[in-house]
Order: sequence, then structure tokens, then C-alpha cells
Amino acid sequence: MRESKSRHAVILALACVAAVAWLLPYAWMVATSFKTLPEIVAHPGAPLPEHVDTGAYREVFATLPVARYMGITAFMAGTIAFAQIALALPAGYALAKLRFVGRGFAFGTVLACLLVPAQATFVPVFLLFAKAHVVNTMTALVLPFAASALGTFLVRQALVSVPDEMIEAARMDGAGELTIVYRVLAPMLKPTLVSLFLVSFVFHYNDYFWPLVMTTDDHVRTLPLGVALLREQGTGVRWHIVMAGNVVLSLPVLALFAMAQKHLVRAVSARS
Amino acid sequence: MTPRSTWHPWAMLGPTLALLSVFFLLPIGVAAYESLFSWDMLTPPRYVGTANYAALAAHGELLRVALRTLGYSVLVVAGTMTLGLGLALLLDRPGRFFGFVRASVFSAYVVSWVAVALLWMWILDGNSGAVGGLTRWLGLGTVSLLGDPRWALPALAVVAVWKLTGYAMIVFLAGLQGVPRSLLEAAALDGAGPWARFRHVTMPLLAPTASFVATTSLVTSFQAFDVVRIMTQGGPARATELFVYAIYEQIFLNLSVGRASALTVVFFVLLLAVAGLQLRVWRARAGASR
Amino acid sequence: MYRHDVLARRDLLRACASSLALAPLATAACGHRTRPEHRDGRVVVTFWYAYGDLVRKVMLDLVARFNASQTRVFVEAVHQGDYYECLAKLRTALAAGAAPTLSHVVCEIIPYLARAGVLEDLGGYEGARLLPFVPALEQRGTFAHGDAEPLVSIPFNRSTPIAFFNARMLDEAHLAPPRTWDELLDAARALTRRAANGEVRWGFEVPIQGWYWLAMVGQAGGRLVEPDGRVSLGGDAGEKALRLWQRMVREEHVMRPPPGRDYQAWQSSNESFLGGHIAMMWSSTAHVRYLEDNAHFPVVTAPLPRDVRASVPTGGTMFVVMRAAPDEEKQAAWEFVRWMCDAEQTIAWSTRTGYMPVTRPAVERLVERGWYTKHPNDRVAYDQLAAVEPWPWSPDLFRVERDVVEPRLEEGVLEGRDAHVLMDEARDEARRPA
Repeated sequence: MRESKSRHAVILALACVAAVAWLLPYAWMVATSFKTLPEIVAHPGAPLPEHVDTGAYREVFATLPVARYMGITAFMAGTIAFAQIALALPAGYALAKLRFVGRGFAFGTVLACLLVPAQATFVPVFLLFAKAHVVNTMTALVLPFAASALGTFLVRQALVSVPDEMIEAARMDGAGELTIVYRVLAPMLKPTLVSLFLVSFVFHYNDYFWPLVMTTDDHVRTLPLGVALLREQGTGVRWHIVMAGNVVLSLPVLALFAMAQKHLVRAVSARS
Repeated sequence: MTPRSTWHPWAMLGPTLALLSVFFLLPIGVAAYESLFSWDMLTPPRYVGTANYAALAAHGELLRVALRTLGYSVLVVAGTMTLGLGLALLLDRPGRFFGFVRASVFSAYVVSWVAVALLWMWILDGNSGAVGGLTRWLGLGTVSLLGDPRWALPALAVVAVWKLTGYAMIVFLAGLQGVPRSLLEAAALDGAGPWARFRHVTMPLLAPTASFVATTSLVTSFQAFDVVRIMTQGGPARATELFVYAIYEQIFLNLSVGRASALTVVFFVLLLAVAGLQLRVWRARAGASR
Repeated sequence: MYRHDVLARRDLLRACASSLALAPLATAACGHRTRPEHRDGRVVVTFWYAYGDLVRKVMLDLVARFNASQTRVFVEAVHQGDYYECLAKLRTALAAGAAPTLSHVVCEIIPYLARAGVLEDLGGYEGARLLPFVPALEQRGTFAHGDAEPLVSIPFNRSTPIAFFNARMLDEAHLAPPRTWDELLDAARALTRRAANGEVRWGFEVPIQGWYWLAMVGQAGGRLVEPDGRVSLGGDAGEKALRLWQRMVREEHVMRPPPGRDYQAWQSSNESFLGGHIAMMWSSTAHVRYLEDNAHFPVVTAPLPRDVRASVPTGGTMFVVMRAAPDEEKQAAWEFVRWMCDAEQTIAWSTRTGYMPVTRPAVERLVERGWYTKHPNDRVAYDQLAAVEPWPWSPDLFRVERDVVEPRLEEGVLEGRDAHVLMDEARDEARRPA
């Protein structure tokens, strides 16, 4: 099926429109971050700044402890992603490979949790953490997500297709169950695990809702919260500073995306 | 395979089941319980039975929140599925250029909602944003979409579509891989044009994918919070007060745990119902088309 | 071979798991404070504050000055967003046992917090009853019967709503700042310009919020709570105030309500004003310095217009100290609060922002230095204090204003619902227990 030249041209044109629709806002964001306030007030529609002014970035770094927030956010996201994988492997293995009474019930529990969003649980969880005096600590940010229903489900699906003979051979060699899970099966699942790790890391790095609800001050504030605070200033909106904050917030994720695009895409499409 | 000891499976599942139960299943029960009390966390709680539900339903406020959330979700799902499918069909070609465009569209899905919301707040700003400039250039004067109760929610839906289309596109692309070329070629040989090929070969095979995208998009957009909190804070005149934002306001601004819990229970029930209905409809469609 | 590894690895894994679980819990102890925090031998006072931009800089300056001026106390200032965000976090932190020692809150929430028993009674602290506050700005003048309640709040940044004008536009139209509601309407009509490309220069803009509505209710002769305790929400005056806005926005098209809720709307108004899109604006005296410094035109301020009388509520925030904090920290916080009330500090605060000086000696000193002759805009809010309407000491005040009244004001102005119906609904809901 060869396409006619004109059809190809139309397709190219539409693809360009799509690219523009999705890239232009970013370009606008970056351009704004290099403007100054008087410029924005006077000529809001100007596409490019008159001179490249880094004042907005200086203000962002002066107002927010960017490195600290970024460190907290990365640590939190990394811990969650790591814990999810560490727990999903044995759980998925048990559900996929072991026959035991109550397996259906356990699997059903995992599936049920897929439907429960964090937005439905935050009130009771907040109350629980408040009673335990754990609000505003890293525990409150990490613990609720240490187990991932989705991760467990995906690992189980991936392990179902692993031949039983391989596991029995390892058992006969004298390997313990956990050894089998972490040293024999995990390497076979590497692509799935890498994708899971990345998706989880990016999701929790970007998370605004849970840290907003679970933190009360600066102690374990994450970067999305910090950047969102740039908006709430009380006198006049300073778009250039907000956009500069946006750039700082988005760059690491976009860089990660550029480097690991394959894995992120695979994770998203694998779920279907 | 039989486990080596009977406690092995439970030891392996233990932490996962414990964490999931405590943080996902138990809270729903707790919310149902708390919804029967009036409590502001600073003074002792008071039992009020179903008064919280009654107060929420008074003046039709609860119904309005539910309808708004449903309306928003429908807009977002329809938008992302249409655009996602369209872009998948358009960009399912080899080459660096198409790969670049696909990456651009998907990149919006990858960045934080904070970044997207702040960016679009700026673009949609009546005074100094691009949209304001555009409407002035078109002679329509200064238009502030986010300040108009009729347009604020659709504006948020457009922003959500911009962010989430990449996801739908990627899933549809994967689904398209599952459409055998041989079938398409056979149809072409039979004289079917591109549209006919799409309707009779591609679409039926994509039905399960579409169902998946529809359900997950619906569940995601039902949970919308960040975009409301950052762009409109529930206004103007409650026009963008979606379910999760209403729960947030009840507990953090009104400190009314009982009302927040009651809203949570209704939210969860509604979510289950809508997701279940959606799945059944799509499965029936997929079954009927075979 | 595997057996040894298995045992070792299983133990290792168990150890890792338990340390992962316990380590964060160890930091959990930080959430609940029973002993005062010390740093370098100084008592640390955590102070949650809620400003940004210019006001934030002034605040941090003063805090740094305080920390440098003595060695007993270290004030650690933590930024928490805007007033509502800070308040939300404060209340949830109180509930979670993780509250700071010192913060500042809007007047409307103080009766609620006092009734909940979370505020420290400052009446017994050294010098508390002797501070020479401007009567309308301290607790007893801010609230009706405020002196019958324990002293739980100390004025910090205090303001009243005032009218801002683009002096150039006023001159062009040969107008003076309106002094009555009728004059306001006339001026708004005269100052609204419609360009050929559809762009409008609005005559008047004000955030559709409880504070400004309350000012108008007072001006129309009404009050939120009647002397017999009945919540009337201004009665007829309340409806009249809303109708004026409805008329100006929906019928005459001379007023634009700014988009956004809470302080988003204020920022938007300021931006529109600076950009020359509006001629007259009601905002807080807190923005005087910011607007004067950033405008390309002369800025003139004036008191709000009157209807049957002149009336304004006070605004801004008061310092509050949390009862749950350790005694040593509370004493240290009081030291800081007292220092902030010294004439020199309150002068620095008000001259650099536009908030009112809270003590009488400070006002006298400013008059002596001729400050008000050079900066007449600063004087307006202070002179308006003669027309101040005190807040009712009602624990429901905050909820009623923000949750019951404001959404209905928005509905009235943005959707055109009938003012009488809306106010009736509001009264209904205000009377229902929370």
C-alpha cells in the first residue's frame, strides 16, 4: 500500500501541527522564564524576550532551596520505586507459581486495590499518621506506596510464562525461595522491572497531592510543592518566576525521559 | 508448583498484603465509620449518624459535584481517546521525524501536573497570556476562560486532554502493532479504501485496547485534583469543584472530618460504579462485534 | 553451597526490611515535640509565615535583624504559602501534634482557635497589657467585646481595604475619588472605555470576597451578627451590597470581577491595575508600596465610599502562640513578638509595605518625621480606622465568611442569581451547626 505524494504531504503537515501543539507551550514557558516583570506587563504577547535575563532563575534559587527539595523528592521517589520492586517480586512469584489455599483471595485483594486511588484513602491515612505522630516525615510519604498492587500484578503476569522446570532445577540445586526470586527470576524480568522502576520513580517524583496532604512544613517538602508555592505570593503574579520554577522542575524528568524513553513507553504499553 | 513450606507463600505475600490492606482497603472502611461523626480534630468527635450525608445533599450540592466530575471525566476521556487514536494512526510510521513527534506528545504525560497546570494557567491568563493576546488580536477583547463559570471546567478538560493524550496514543500504538498487516493487505486487495479498512479491520481488533484506555482514563480523570488546586481552587462559583478537591477542602480548610469522609465514601462508590459500567459496556461492544 | 548463602541472604534481607521500616519511624520522633529545641545554645522558635514577594523580604529582613541582635533566641521562619494555605497547614499540624510555636492568622479564625483551646493566653506575659497599641488594631478593638476574652492575639500586619486609583485616568476624566456609592457608580461609568478591537478598560474592579462585601454591608448600615446574637448577614444591607456589584457587573458592565479564588484574585487585580486595564480598584493597604513602586503612573488612594455611613472591617493578621509548645519556646516567641511591636520595628514594617503601624508611639514618630506628608497614600488606611466595624467574636465566623457567604457572592455576581434568595440560603446554612 503505497501512499500518494499528496497524502504523504498532508500527513507530514498534520504531524507538524501535532508537534507544534505539544512543543509550543514548552517553548513559551522557557521564553517567559527569561523575561523580566516590566516586559511581561507591557508586552505579554511577545514570543521572545528582549534580552535573556536570568533574574527569574536567580529568584527561584533564592526563594527555594532547590537542591534540598530535589534531593528529598528523588530520595522519596527512589525509595518508593525500589521498595515496590523488592516487594512485588516475592509477592508476584507466590501468586504466579505457588499453589496454596487462599491464593485466589490474595490475588483478589491485590486486584481490588488497583481500583482504590490515593485520593480516596488520604483522609483515614492522614488520621492514622496523625495519631502515630508520623505526619510530616518521610515515612508518611513512602510507607503507603511501598507495596504496589500494579507492580505485583505485572510481575505475576510476567512470571506466569516462566517455565516451572527452571524453578524446580534451581530448587534441586539447593537454592532457597528468596534466592530463586531475587537471583534467578529477577534478572529474567529485567526489562519489566526497569520499566516499573522508572514509571514509579517518575510518578512519585511528580506527585503533588500526597506530599501536599502529608506534609505541614519545610521538613520533607518536595520540589513540586515548592514550585507550586511560587504561585502563591500575594502581591502580584510573577509569571517569569513561576515559569522558571517550572523549567527547574521539569528538566530532570524530561532528561530522564529522553534517556530512558524506551522503558517508559514499554511500561505504559505493556499494561494493555 | 507446591511451596516448600505452607508459610512460604504467606511470608512472601505478607508485607505486600499488609501494606495494601492498611493503606488501601482499611481506609475505605474507616472513612465509612468516620462519616457518621462530626469531628474537627481539635475537639472530641460527636456522633451525628447520617447528618453529614444530609448536609452534603442539601441544596443539591453533592449531586452537582458528582455531575461536574462525571462531565469533566467524559470530556477528558472522549478527547484523549479521539486524539490518541488519531495521533496513533497518524504517527505510526517509521523514521526519526515521526519518532520525535511521538516523543513530544508523550512528554506532556511524563512531566508533573504542577508544571502543566502552572504553564496553562499562564497561557490561559486573560491579561498576559497567549490566549488573551490571541482573542485581542481576533477582536474579541480580553477573555478570561478560567474566570468564567461556564468555561472554566471545559478549559481544565482541555488542559487534561493535552497532558493525557500521549498516554492514549502510546497504548493505541501498541494495540495497532497487534493488527496483522496481512489482514489489511487482504482488505486492500478486496478494494477497501483506507476508511473502510479502518472501520472493518482495525477498529474491531482495537476494541480491547480502546476499552482499556477508556477505563483507565476514566479512573484517572475521576481523581483529578492537582489541576483544580493549582488553576482555579474550585472556583469560580464552585464551577470546578470536583470530587477530590471537595474532599480536600472539607478536611483541610473546613476541618470537617465527617463531611470529608462522607464525600470519600460517595466518591469511591461512584468510581466503582462508573468503572464497572464502563467495563461492561465495552465488553458487550467487543463481544457484539465478533 | 546455596544453603549457607540462603541463610545469610535471608537474614540480611530480614535485617534490611526491618531497618527500612524502623529508620523512618525513628525520625517520627521529630513530629512530636516535648522538649524545647535548641541550636547553638539558643532556643529555637519555629515561625510559620504566609507572605511572598516584597512582604516576605521585609519579614525575613526583620527576622534576621532580631536573630542578630541577641543570643538567646533563634527564630526560624518557614514559608507556608498564602494565609489560607498556612492556616490549613497550621490546623492540621495542630491536630497531628506537629505544630510550630508561633504563627500569624487572619482575625476571622481567632475565635474558633481560641474556643478549641489551642492558643496560648498571652495576658500574663511580661508587658502584654502595657503595649501601647492603636485601640482599633489590638484584640479588644478588633473584636466586639474582645477584651472580655483572654488575650490570645497580638497585632502584626494590620490593614483595611482602601480604594486605589490610576491618577492619570482620573485626571483625564476630570474626576475626584468617589465618596459615595452613587459617585462610585458614576465614576465607573465615566472611566470605562471600550476599544474597537473589543478590549475594555474597566472602570472598577474588586475581588468578589467577603472582606469587601462586609465593608459594603457596613456602609449600607448592616452588620453580620445582630446585638442579640442572631446571624443576619447584614439583612437588607447584605442584599443591597450584593445588588450593587451585580448591577455594576451584569447590567452596566463597568466592573469586572477578577478570576481566581482567595489571593489569586487579589494578585490578578493588582496585575490588571499595573497593566492599565482598570481605573479604580479596591484592595488592601498592604499593597500600597508594591503598587506605587511598580506602576508607570501616579497611584492615588482614598477611603472607601459611604452609603448611609462609612465603614470598613480590619484585615491582615495577628500573632498567635500555640499552647502545646514547650514553655521555654513560648517565652522566646513572646520575646520576638514584643520586639516586633517596638516602635522601630513596626515603623520599618509599615513604611516598607503599606500595612498600618500598630502602636501609637510609632504613629506619632512617623507624623513627626513627616512621613505622611511625603507618602499620603499610607495615611488613608489609618485615617479610616475611625470608621472601623469590629468583628463579632464568633467561632463560626471564618466558616460562614469563606464557606457560606463567598461562594454565594460569586454565584450572584458571576451567574446572576437573585440576591435575596442567595442571602436567605446563606442565612439558613450559617445557622446550621458545622
